[in-house]
Amino acid sequence: MNLRTYSRRENGPMFLTLLATIAVVILVEMIFVRDFNISKVAFIKPRNIANVLMQVSTTGILAISMTLVMVSGGIDLSIGQMMCFIGTGMAFMMRILGVNDWLVASLGVVVAVLFQGLMGFIISRTKLEPFIVSLGFMTIYKGFTYLITNGSEITIVDHFNFLGGTYFNITHDFRIGMPVLVLIILEVIMWLVLKYTKFGRSVYAVGGNENAAYLAGINVKSFKLLVYGLNGLFVAIATMVLLSRLGTGNPLIGDGKEIDVIAAVVVGGTALSGGKGNVWGTLIGVLLLGIISNALNILGVNPYWQYVMTGAIIIFAVLLSYFSGLSSASVKTSPRRGDSEKGKKALAN
Amino acid sequence: MPEELILSMKGISKSYPGVTVFEDFDFDLRRGEIHCICGENGAGKSTLIKMLSGAHSPDKGSIYFEGEELENLNPHSAMKMGIQTIYQEHNLFSLLDVVENLYAGNQITKGLAIDRPTMVAKTREILKYLHSDVSPFDIVGRLSSSARKVVEIAKALVQDAKVIIFDEPTASFSQVEIDHLFEIIKRLAQNGKSIIYISHHLEEVFRIADRVTVLRDGRKVNTYAIADLTEQKLIRDMVGRDVSLFYQRDKTPVAADVVFEARGLTGNGVRDVSFSVRRGEILGIAGMDGSGRTELAELLFGVKKADSGEIFIRGKRVRMKTPLSAIRQKMCFITEDRQALGLFLRHTLVRNIPIVSYTRTRTPLALPADDIKISEKYVGELKIRTPSLYHLVMQLSGGNQQKVVLAKWFASRGEFFIFDEPTRGIDVGAKEEIYRIMVDLLRQGKSIIMISSDMPELVAMSDRIVVMRNGMASALLENGDINQETVLKNAIGVA
Repeated sequence: MNLRTYSRRENGPMFLTLLATIAVVILVEMIFVRDFNISKVAFIKPRNIANVLMQVSTTGILAISMTLVMVSGGIDLSIGQMMCFIGTGMAFMMRILGVNDWLVASLGVVVAVLFQGLMGFIISRTKLEPFIVSLGFMTIYKGFTYLITNGSEITIVDHFNFLGGTYFNITHDFRIGMPVLVLIILEVIMWLVLKYTKFGRSVYAVGGNENAAYLAGINVKSFKLLVYGLNGLFVAIATMVLLSRLGTGNPLIGDGKEIDVIAAVVVGGTALSGGKGNVWGTLIGVLLLGIISNALNILGVNPYWQYVMTGAIIIFAVLLSYFSGLSSASVKTSPRRGDSEKGKKALAN
Repeated sequence: MPEELILSMKGISKSYPGVTVFEDFDFDLRRGEIHCICGENGAGKSTLIKMLSGAHSPDKGSIYFEGEELENLNPHSAMKMGIQTIYQEHNLFSLLDVVENLYAGNQITKGLAIDRPTMVAKTREILKYLHSDVSPFDIVGRLSSSARKVVEIAKALVQDAKVIIFDEPTASFSQVEIDHLFEIIKRLAQNGKSIIYISHHLEEVFRIADRVTVLRDGRKVNTYAIADLTEQKLIRDMVGRDVSLFYQRDKTPVAADVVFEARGLTGNGVRDVSFSVRRGEILGIAGMDGSGRTELAELLFGVKKADSGEIFIRGKRVRMKTPLSAIRQKMCFITEDRQALGLFLRHTLVRNIPIVSYTRTRTPLALPADDIKISEKYVGELKIRTPSLYHLVMQLSGGNQQKVVLAKWFASRGEFFIFDEPTRGIDVGAKEEIYRIMVDLLRQGKSIIMISSDMPELVAMSDRIVVMRNGMASALLENGDINQETVLKNAIGVA
């Protein structure tokens, strides 16, 4: 028997779902416009594809680091409000104080990393639930946002052009914007990090069994701190991308973003309990949700249906992973992480 | 001798995709008897329990209970009829008190309201019958594991059990706790309850069984009255080959040089413990549950910080701040609870085995090609039975899971091994393999600290034994002093 036999393709089901969704969208559009000429389908026009990629770039960037957070067993609800906070903060500095772009960008990164790091510090040194801690931080950021803006938006024109205004023409009607390139680069980097570094192993180990990870020599506390700090960095990058695209520091710039991001990560196959998931799955999740929302736009469906669809997809994705999990794991009554009293006792400090 | 049958199985076959677990299996249980089931892991003991408790149904054959054939048995109807199973893991609500646990889903009511006073009174009655000093109001999560077992028995009695199935009930029990449990089980049998008792521990079987059924590969080898059975015969039936009663380890030379030394270790419930370990030696650590053995191991490995005391490795003072400091000193800790502390159950072998080999190095890289190489090497060396490196660890048997833990530490190229209950919950054959692996370590000049509640095992394997009592080292036994009586006497403090 060959020990290297490898049969499980983790992202398989979701990738098929993505392809099926694309097929369904094309089919629906062909029937809807009553024109069976595939070249007339707006959805697969290069311009639209470029558009979808641009639209998902911010969510995609955020979802990369959220994957890290969630695979290692945590969650961060504060990212949407963090975007509002540093987004309006950066706009304020550029527009009202007239600070240089690069300085603003650096400050944005520093603030985001420090705050998320502080959150990570609290989560890693205590047994508090990341859910609640990040909920607290989320509300704090919301307060900061309104203290900065007083509720009104700060328009910025011609800032961060490097991000929002740079395009690479692939063909005459297909161009990729800088945000998409940033997404792809970060995606590849994170894939490599997860696959080829000790840090990557720690992500899965801590999410799989925190106690065993600690006894295997992983410094769980600093590790968690690092993951949340890194998440701050990604939030800062995503915020700059969004600011440059919208040209305005709106207090609602990132409002509700955490829902989209967590949804994409979960749809992409990351287990809420941690230990399982990867960035390509997450990218599939991001694309799937992006495509659905784009298709509903093209088909002229009331945009509020998007929420209904997104919700349905999340549930579908979770069901799918539930049923595929049932068939692959024959042991249903296996103890969950941290269930053992002994384990808790042994490591309760 | 009561002869009335309460339960019988006839011509049972059961297969899962790919494996036939049971074939043409017959079994009968008399009223008021204690019937032990013996067999190696994978012999079909847990499938037998699942069929009797209604979790799985047989493919062929019939089960009769009190003369009637059972059809479509499910866990609920099994319990209702009086077949209660007490599993290895606890099935209690740890945040609720004893009363609520006993009557969970089964509350006594007066009109619409729950009649708690009656429930409390009945709970008291049952606990008294079981000679337990547990109070009805104790929160179950705070009870010791043996007290929780008693609560589970009480719960079975509340539900009017006629047949009680015990699956490895004494794991992590001290001798006194085992005695108490056996007393209870015998009393239950005298009062007409029928007991099915499943255990790896042969001495337990000989202490309480009326009859013994030996399973091997899903077939019944034989059913014996206990008087007709010897340990040799039982073991031969279980494994299908002759093994000496206890594993006789090869004696290996112990070097004179001390490689590991603890001086006056105090903290984490341990008081002033000193000992030394020589190269190529197994230092056994004996003691009853709660005597501080695991707590001592935690200090040695940096899981907990010592308040005072010193640790020397090859004569050099070392501070154990975290497990990582211990790992950097080439220490390995095979924990007693391998599922909660040793393994990433939902990860594959190839994710589990290389983990420590990465944390001990200082390079940031971890290459998948190395994962595969390392995992393949140790899966081969330790003969881990798995279809592939990409199998989830939770799908392996207990013995193979333990070998994955060993592989993890071997891959880290450790020198000092702390084995905490290395053979708990694994079958006879796998135990021997573990012993052989330990002796191999000695031959390579490595040193072992071995904690075990399994007295014969500890006595057979150790070169010297430190006996712990109340957090202190009460004796250091060498050569001729190492026997079960001396160890036990020092552990309970009658020496």
